[in-house]
Amino acid sequence: MNMHAQPQRTLAETALIDAFGERLSQLPGDGAVMVKRDDAIEAIKNGLPTRRVESWHYTDLRRLLTSVPAFEAGAVAKALAPVLEGSAVLPVLNGVSQTKLPEVEGVTVQRLSEKLTDGSVAPGLDPYGDDDAIGALNTAFVADGYFVDIAGGVELEKPIEFQNLQAGGQSHVRLLARIGAGAKAIIVERQAGEASEDGEALVSSVSQLVVGDGAQVTWLIVQEQQDTATHLAQFKAHIGKDAKLTVFVMNAGGKLVRQEVVVRTTGEGADFKLRGINLLAGDTHTDTTMVLDHAVPHTTSTEVIRNVVTGKARGVFQGRINVHQYAQKTNAKMACNTLLLSDDGEFSTKPELEIFADDVVCGHGATVTEIDHNHLFYLMARGIDEKSARGLLVKAFVAEVIEELDDEALVEALEERLDGWFSTHG
Amino acid sequence: MPAVQETIDRVRKIDVDQYKYGFQTEIEMDKAPKGLSEDIIRFISAKKDEPDWMLEWRLGAYRRWLTLEEPTWARVHYPKIDFQDIYYYAAPKSTPGPKSLSEVDPELIKVYEKLGIPLKEQEILAGVQKPAVADEEAEIGDNVYKSGRVAVDAVFDSVSVVTTFKEELAKAGVIFCSISEAIREHPELVKKYLGSVVPTSDNFYATLNSAVFTDGSFVFVPKGVRCPMELSTYFRINEKNTGQFERTLIIAEEGAYVSYLEGCTAPQRDENQLHAAVVELIALDDAEIKYSTVQNWYPGDAEGKGGIYNFVTKRGDCRGDRSKISWTQVETGSAITWKYPSCILRGDDSSGEFYSIAVSNGYQQVDSGTKMIHLGKNTSSRVISKGIAAGFSQNTYRGQVSAHRKATNARNFTNCDSLLIGDQCGAHTVPYMEAKNATAKFEHEATTSKISEDQKFYVMQRGIPEEEAIALIVNGFVKDVIQQLPMEFAVEAQKLIGISLEGSVG
Repeated sequence: MNMHAQPQRTLAETALIDAFGERLSQLPGDGAVMVKRDDAIEAIKNGLPTRRVESWHYTDLRRLLTSVPAFEAGAVAKALAPVLEGSAVLPVLNGVSQTKLPEVEGVTVQRLSEKLTDGSVAPGLDPYGDDDAIGALNTAFVADGYFVDIAGGVELEKPIEFQNLQAGGQSHVRLLARIGAGAKAIIVERQAGEASEDGEALVSSVSQLVVGDGAQVTWLIVQEQQDTATHLAQFKAHIGKDAKLTVFVMNAGGKLVRQEVVVRTTGEGADFKLRGINLLAGDTHTDTTMVLDHAVPHTTSTEVIRNVVTGKARGVFQGRINVHQYAQKTNAKMACNTLLLSDDGEFSTKPELEIFADDVVCGHGATVTEIDHNHLFYLMARGIDEKSARGLLVKAFVAEVIEELDDEALVEALEERLDGWFSTHG
Repeated sequence: MPAVQETIDRVRKIDVDQYKYGFQTEIEMDKAPKGLSEDIIRFISAKKDEPDWMLEWRLGAYRRWLTLEEPTWARVHYPKIDFQDIYYYAAPKSTPGPKSLSEVDPELIKVYEKLGIPLKEQEILAGVQKPAVADEEAEIGDNVYKSGRVAVDAVFDSVSVVTTFKEELAKAGVIFCSISEAIREHPELVKKYLGSVVPTSDNFYATLNSAVFTDGSFVFVPKGVRCPMELSTYFRINEKNTGQFERTLIIAEEGAYVSYLEGCTAPQRDENQLHAAVVELIALDDAEIKYSTVQNWYPGDAEGKGGIYNFVTKRGDCRGDRSKISWTQVETGSAITWKYPSCILRGDDSSGEFYSIAVSNGYQQVDSGTKMIHLGKNTSSRVISKGIAAGFSQNTYRGQVSAHRKATNARNFTNCDSLLIGDQCGAHTVPYMEAKNATAKFEHEATTSKISEDQKFYVMQRGIPEEEAIALIVNGFVKDVIQQLPMEFAVEAQKLIGISLEGSVG
């Protein structure tokens, strides 16, 4: 949050604070949860972060969040077909979790509203820092979501797909997942909405994941919000000893989007991979911010982010790798590549390394460029017209990241979504 | 390097407090009272015999400064500075006439001799073209003679005491004098260019500098002139508690070329000293300015006590088409460095360069980097930064590269590598890349590592002892930047890096 007292509240700040007063009596939670909510709204009363707050330098939330919609707007009737066929779907419709849920062996699912009411999730509600505006906003307003517990040693055959759907209005949702030691799972986090009459939507969504020792998790975030929606999302994870976590983020929608990925390696031998695709079009603002803490020795990470910027879109990638003093033998690599295809578009990137241990290998690379004319020439010399040639090259640029996921069904499903985006924005 | 415990121990034991240039010269000083107010600014302006417009300029900056807050974004920590506890004006009392060195206080000459600076003005002035001396230092001096000559504008705590080679430069039409003299004698040039790159409202320290700067250098190279010699300033902070606020202004007119060297040493003391300089470079069409710095101010003692605070604003404006500005820096000193030499690439086809070596040891904190602002068409920039962190130091690279909407075909390549020696230090990289034009091509790469056991083994296996092997590898690590330095600086820079990392790299 902004450290400086703001002289005057913006419309959005006032609307949020007023909404809290009105909603308070309906929000679930025991005493401990309500105390956290109070603390969180206090943080918002101090003002939304501006560009002067370093972690929000490129996304001045105070300026960009111009209005806040009322709570109820349209209503989504039913869940979407899952990205991967056969997935067990956990839908949150208009901010409310469902009672009738698929049964999956070895997996316990509870509605988050119940966990809030009994206060058992209170300790996890704290924002992760002074500048964690998304955490604060969500903690203040979160009403529902799911708690998913996958027992140790369970290898899920079918993915679990969590869907957060709404049509305009506000929704504040949280998903907690605990993956037992040695378990294996693919989890899809789907963020989408339907158009509503007054259009606007404000969504905050926080996912918290604990990956047990030796577990292997692939977590896909597919964000395809309406282009009138403000989507503020956070993914937080702890990775245990010898565990592997792969997070794949695909941003292909929304008007104002910030997806934070906050990860900490907590056990030796932990491995983290982040793969991201940002497909940006229209007059939109999309920010992907990662904070990765290598907190123990012998852990590895790689991050690859590919961005395609068209129209008047503004894109941001911030990636910070912190290597703690104790975390010797860390191996961390990060790359962020951007294709800037429009003179009206812009992309800003800030890949940071903060290193306090000496026996490490860390590196990052970042590029911003347009399509290579030699590549274009190569294709056109073979009789492919310019538009198709460009399309091929752009698609190849992002598809490379998808193909790396070594799961055929997954690759196919994601490429399908990619084709969908290109057919409407190509 | 966890494998070599002795090395770490040795790095810890390095005698950072045995600062080679730690002595204090006793010269009577003419001082203004401590503290800062409009009266002090009037006093400074009157002492300098400045015209009214200059006083107004200073007062405007001071009023602006009162409204500003000290920046806190850099990764440096230090006790709060009491700006009312600093002398803003100190001048050596026995100011000699600037025409001849023989009139200079011999104490001052001794200071320069003690510094072993590679400048042998005395001899050059006396007509000695090639001294017949065989000691080690003469070799450095030798290079000066071979590579042409060096003109010096020596700054001794705040006032330019000696300006040499004036006549020879005047023949070429080059103006090289102290900024105070320029304000008096070339007011039209100063008025036109001062503050045009770093405006008085730029940032906290630059604004403070605008209000209270006491001296610095002024260089004007007229149209089509290639400056016949390297220009050089040696800064020296001497009197206790005197902050130095230099202002350097270099203008290269159409087609001109100038290479400027800046080097610094400061005596050892306990209290922290503030140094907030401003350097402005202006290159018009086809002009080129090369600015090189070797900075080895007192870094503080083994506990991190004392040492210079170096908060500098350096900015070059490639105002003309096809102009070029190149910054090269070797930073080994200062307790805290806060320094971002930048290039504004305004002219079409202009280019900017930044080459940096930052060595930190003991409890030093370095937060340095550059800004490359691409505004014109077909502009290019290149950033090579090498950070070496040892002891308990923190070494941060912070850089920005941006291409604005109309900067078609902007091109940048950035490479910043960090080397860690010992497990108590930190190396950080914070680059900002902002592209607003589809034809921009930006590349950035950064790596952080220690010297690998394989590299060391390879060298040692050829019979080279460990310490020398490390030195060899470190030299290779910084080679790209050293090569950019003028010869006489390159020698000094290599020596300095050696001294700074003594015990770990020989």
